[in-house]
Amino acid sequence: MGYAEALLQHALKLAEEKGAKEIKKIRIAIGELLLINPEQLKFCFSAIASNTIAENAELEIEFLKAEGKCITCGKVFDSIDSTTYICNCGGLIEFKGGKDFILKSLSLEV
Amino acid sequence: MHRIEIEAEVDLLALNKKLARENREFFRENGITVFNIMGAIGSGKTLLIEKTVEALGSQLKIGAILGDVVCNADYERVAKLGIRADAINTGKECHLDAHLLHNRIKNFADMDLLLIENVGNLICPVDFDLGEDYRIVMVSVTEGDDVIGKHPEIFRLADLIIINKVALAGAVGADVDKMVEDARSLSNAEIIKMDLKEGIGFDEWLNFVRRAVNVSGNSGKS
Repeated sequence: MGYAEALLQHALKLAEEKGAKEIKKIRIAIGELLLINPEQLKFCFSAIASNTIAENAELEIEFLKAEGKCITCGKVFDSIDSTTYICNCGGLIEFKGGKDFILKSLSLEV
Repeated sequence: MHRIEIEAEVDLLALNKKLARENREFFRENGITVFNIMGAIGSGKTLLIEKTVEALGSQLKIGAILGDVVCNADYERVAKLGIRADAINTGKECHLDAHLLHNRIKNFADMDLLLIENVGNLICPVDFDLGEDYRIVMVSVTEGDDVIGKHPEIFRLADLIIINKVALAGAVGADVDKMVEDARSLSNAEIIKMDLKEGIGFDEWLNFVRRAVNVSGNSGKS
């Protein structure tokens, strides 16, 4: 819910700066290591956006992959799943990225 | 009416990152070692703070900030020890963030060690850097021995993992070795098997604290 609230707040601020009557679409990029459930985010957003110009906004979500590298053998992993924290060699995988939450762009009716 | 597209590229976590950096600079400038003590509800975070103050309070200036949803139960336990302490009520937010700490930390400028007790939660606090030096993650055997495997991210990012209440493992059917193995599969952090009421693992914890404070070079302040 906190993420949905931050998203709504920023989207409304940007839309109001443009004098928008309605927010049609919000494009966001979410790091996969934030482990945000997109359906839940959409649900929370719709709950709090009602009676605002964002109430009918479609959320378009792109997931950003984390980059993983084994600290023992150097093997590179370009995505995670819920069990991929150790490498085939037994070494730990260190991850970079995958933790951002970016409001990319808005489609507005002005 | 017509439709327009606007580029935003707004990092919604930017404000927390900025405030966490500012917190971290404040701590470094003032020579304060900071622990973000995270863990499940009832895992023993407050008791760990109480015992640490009792053991090291005469050698180090220790302060505490305690987060909780409502009321000040944890704060009151720690404040009774006579240390500088502050309470933060997070309300419906399930974690502390850098903003909540930002205006309070100036009251702890002369501390050697600041212990921040995060809200009891193994999920939400992960993404919110407070500006700490060390993330301590605490669970207990009474949460089930699969609790670590179920919450990989918080353990992956821990600097120290504490498995508490080990004396109760038999009574609740928890396999402590499995918990250690699960933690080891996620992190190279030191793991302490602890039971605060039985005194197990507490010396290892005190050694960790002493090493952490010495690394920051604050041991002579008090």
